[in-house]
Order: sequence, then C-alpha cells, then structure tokens
Amino acid sequence: MNPEADIIISVKDLSVSYGERLIFKNVNFEVRRGEVFVILGGSGSGKSTLLKTMIGLYPPQRGEVWIEGGNVVSPNENQRLEILRRFGVMYQSGALFGSMTVLENVQLPLDEFTALPKPIKELVVLAKLKLVGLAGAARKTPSELSGGMQKRAAIARAMALDPRILFLDEPSSGLDPITSAGLDELITGLARHFGITFVIVTHELPSVFAIADRVIMLDSRVRTISAEGKPGELRERATDPWVRQFFNRQPDPALSFHLDKSHA
Amino acid sequence: MNLKNEPVLEVNVSADGQANVLFRGRLDATAVASAWNNLGARLSATKVKQLALDASGLDSFDGAGLALLQYLNQGKMTPRATISLSGLKDELKRLLNLLTAEDYEAFHLGIQHKTPLPEEVGRATREVTTDLREQVDFLGNLTASFAGTLGSLKRTRWAEVWHVAELAGANAVPIVSLISVLVGLIIAFESAQPMAEFGAQLYVANMIGLVMVRELGPLMTAILLAGRSGSAFAAELGTMKVNEELNALETFGLEPMRFLVVQRVTAGVLLCPTLTAYSMFMGVLGGVLVLLWLGFPLALIWNQMQESVHLRDVALGISKGFVFGAIVSAVGCLRGLQTRQGPSAVGVSTTRAVVTSILLIIIADAIFSVLFFLPVKL
Repeated sequence: MNPEADIIISVKDLSVSYGERLIFKNVNFEVRRGEVFVILGGSGSGKSTLLKTMIGLYPPQRGEVWIEGGNVVSPNENQRLEILRRFGVMYQSGALFGSMTVLENVQLPLDEFTALPKPIKELVVLAKLKLVGLAGAARKTPSELSGGMQKRAAIARAMALDPRILFLDEPSSGLDPITSAGLDELITGLARHFGITFVIVTHELPSVFAIADRVIMLDSRVRTISAEGKPGELRERATDPWVRQFFNRQPDPALSFHLDKSHA
Repeated sequence: MNLKNEPVLEVNVSADGQANVLFRGRLDATAVASAWNNLGARLSATKVKQLALDASGLDSFDGAGLALLQYLNQGKMTPRATISLSGLKDELKRLLNLLTAEDYEAFHLGIQHKTPLPEEVGRATREVTTDLREQVDFLGNLTASFAGTLGSLKRTRWAEVWHVAELAGANAVPIVSLISVLVGLIIAFESAQPMAEFGAQLYVANMIGLVMVRELGPLMTAILLAGRSGSAFAAELGTMKVNEELNALETFGLEPMRFLVVQRVTAGVLLCPTLTAYSMFMGVLGGVLVLLWLGFPLALIWNQMQESVHLRDVALGISKGFVFGAIVSAVGCLRGLQTRQGPSAVGVSTTRAVVTSILLIIIADAIFSVLFFLPVKL
C-alpha cells in the first residue's frame, strides 16, 4: 500500500501571527489515518491557535492545511462545507448551546445537514450519547451537567455526522483524574473501534502517555515544532533538554521558588 | 462494492404478509433519507406478519444506517410482525447491539412533564416578592454604603467615578445632542400646523420651552442613559459576577457595594442632571430653528420663552435629572449584581436593567408631576 494514502491531514509550512506578534512559523507535520495525534506545548506556545488554524477558524499568514485532499486555508465556496463535514470539533469549554437540551445539541447538525426522518435522527443521537456514556442525560440542559459530562456531550455532538476526524481542544483540562481517565478511554476506544482520527491539543502528561500514538511539541522559544515522535521515546531519548524537562515535569530554574536558597 | 445503478435497499412485500428487506453496499444517511418514505409506505400497505432483514450484502453503515437497522430490527415500523435479521457481519452486529430496547425506553421516559398552572403562578409570585425584597435590601445597603463613603471620602475611588462619568456621560453627548435637537424640531413642526389655524404659531415657543425643560429633556436623557449606561453597568457587573470577580473582591473584604456600586451611582447622579440641562438646551434649540424658519425674529421667540419658562421649571427639570440618574445607575448595578449563572444570564440582566429603569423613571416622573401641581391646585 502506498504510504502517502495513509496521510489524512497534512500541514505544510504554516505560519500564524496575531497582528505583529508571531505565534509560530514553518510548522510542518502529517497525521495518519486512525491515529491519536497530540499537539503539545507550554502555555502560550500557540497550540490552540494551531488547532483553530487547522479547522479554518483562523487564517494563517502562510502555508496550507490539507484534510483528505481539500485545502482548509483557501477552499472555494463549494468545497468549504464539504471539507467542514469531514471533521468534528470539541472546544475547550464544550461550547454546548446553553438554550438547548443535550439531545437538541447533538441533533442540530442532523437537522441542518441531513434529510433524515425524526425517529431515525433520535436513534442516531441516542447511539452517539450511549457511546459517550450519556444515554440517560438526553433531556438535560448543559448547565445541569458536570464538566466531564459537558465534554462528553460535546464529543457526541462533534460525532453527530460521523466525521472521520475529531479535533479536541484540551479535553481533560479541569477534570478530575477519574473523569479524565474515562475520557482517555473513550478517545482510544473511538479511535480503535471506529477508525476515527484524533487531533488533540493538551498539556496533561498522564493523558498524553495514555492515548497518544504520536506527538509534536510546539516550542515557544523557537516558535515552531521542536520535537516529533512517540511520547515514550521523547521522554527517554529527546536530545533537547527542554523537551526532556517538559516530559519529566521539571520546573524551569528561572521560575522556581528561590526563597529557601537565598535566605538559608 | 455497491454499483451505482443498484439501490442500497430493496423491499419486497408479498400478499400473505411476508416482507423482505435486502441491504447492499454502504447504508449511509443519504440512502436512509431517500429510502425512508418508500419503506414506510410499502411496509404499512399490507399487514406484515413476518419481516426478514437480509444484510448479507451490507458492507458498512454510518450512524443513520445503524439507526435504520435498529429501528426495523426492534419492530418500530412493523409492531405486529416477527422479525429476523440475517447475514450481518460480526463487526457490524456489535455496533447494532450497542443500543438496547431498554435504552430506547429510558430515553422516551425522560420526557419532561409540564409545570401545572398553579405551580407556575406560585413561582412567578414568589419571584416578584423576592425581587421586591432584594430591591429594598439593595436600597438599604446602598444608603449604608454611601454613609460609609462619606465617612472616608479620601478612600473613595474617585478615579473610577470620573472614568464612569466619562464613559456614561461625556461619550453620550453626541447622541443626546442629535436626539434632543430632532425631538425639539419634530414637536415644533407638528404643533406649528394646528397652532397656525388659530393664528397662534408664536406660542409654539412657549410650548417648546415648557415641554423641553420640564418633561422631555429629563425624560429623554434618562431613557437614553438607561439604554446606554444602565445596561452597560448591568452587563459589566454581571460579567464580573459570572467570572467570580465579585467573589474575589468580597474575600479581600471589599464589598462590591462600596467598591463598585457607590462609584457608579455617584457618577450617575452627577452626570444625569448635567446631561439633562444640555438636552433641554438642545431641544429648545431645535424648536427655535423651526420658529426662525417660520419667520419669527429671535428676539420675539426669546421674549415668549422668558415669559413662560420660569426658574422653578428649570429647577424641576434638573431635580428630575438627579432622581433619574440615581434610578438608572442604581437599577443597572442591582440587576448586574443579581445576575445568575448560565450563558444567557448577562443578557437577561441587561434587559431587566433597562426595563426596570424605564418603568421606575416613568413612575418617578408621575410622582413629580403630582407633587408639583398639587400646591398649584390647592
């Protein structure tokens, strides 16, 4: 089999700035079909910006993002909707519509983009909710759900139209370890059994080791990718001391607490 | 693979109630949507006793295909038939078993019941009384905070007062100018026509003077302020509440009342009369422009106005400005502090701020009128 055929997303020479401020430059990587791909980086390194650029919410200065043969950066109008349909997105806060029930949230894309009859739509929604473990919460409003449940519901909504790719922004931030582990299991399960490709932005290391097939590190010092590979290998064998420091959770000497040393 | 000319779904119903549904290729949302009506019509045309689902040719399905298979397999379309499913690949069968009949029932049991009318009336009454109590509470708190502030004037954040006064007052000058001039213009024009029939066009000057100074100047300014700044206060304090900034203040021992509300109410009380005076002037100017256009000399107009508008009328208008300013800023802050949780909470607060402000402004205006004319009548 041609290895090129396995590439589902390819990011080429991507540079993004907010006004005058450069966020990152010359970012190149490829995501393979069915893998869990994690974008890592410190606070302010531009992880979320990279994700937003990849899903077409933010226009880059330069570069291209190809998703299954369609360029997200400058699609023509006919292509745009078709490319958007290939992926689902879970935003950091869940971004469920607060005025609707969970059922209506998940059903919304089905209402808008398919001609399915109501009983079938309900069954589709129910199946998605069952997958994320929320079958009993269909009639609740987002404000009645806990943080973890909201994120699960957001994943169900992202999956409503059976996309082949799911983008998740900080799925485990603000969750307790048990809920977070449950979410990790959901992600690996969906990847393994449904062949969904995941692109995940996070900096929760335990979660990264549990789910990631491959990671890239966005480095705010050089404003581009400084490491790429399997998380375990990077932890053990990274040549860059900063990358090793990141994976081993060691503090930055400049920011550590010096009081005890200077006043000893 | 499914060929283009072969339908994904084929239905055969025999006269004796035996129905066969044959699937092939990929059963996706488009196929389900296009087959649904035909399927329903065919299966309900005859009394189906046995439904045989043949999925041996089925390669894959998406969420919608899975749902259709479940729908048929659970007998939702043919409630009285015995159903058999054959030929489904193992990996697809696992997906089919994901949803059980219990899930489906639990889902439909969850439909919420409607609140009975008495309960709704009770809730609404309670809400109104709670709100009234909160308003009284707020008024007391505000008075106490002002008293506290007077005791330590140096510690009051005057910079904040000026900042709010600039945002809510100085920046409102253009819109107040425009609206006041135009309203003065409109009233002068509209009244000049009927007055002309009595040859009393000159008295438009008297009327404009009185109307602008006593009523419309203060009223328009207050309503503009409610829409422009009362809502802004509510949104600002509401967002601070949602972001837990108010909690942060309170844990420092800084009451939001003394730290935020007093400044805004002070600014409101100071700027509203100023804007009112300005609005009176601009409104009169609008009327004067019309009278000049009608051919009356400025000296004559001035004379008429001096005769009809007295100092006590101006004093009444300005004192209305003080009261309206206090109402608008205090109500804006109250509604902001009352903000609840949820995405629409801040929006609800701003709406409530504007509605309550306008309501209270009109009530206060009515009280002013009664108080002012009672001595005249007696």
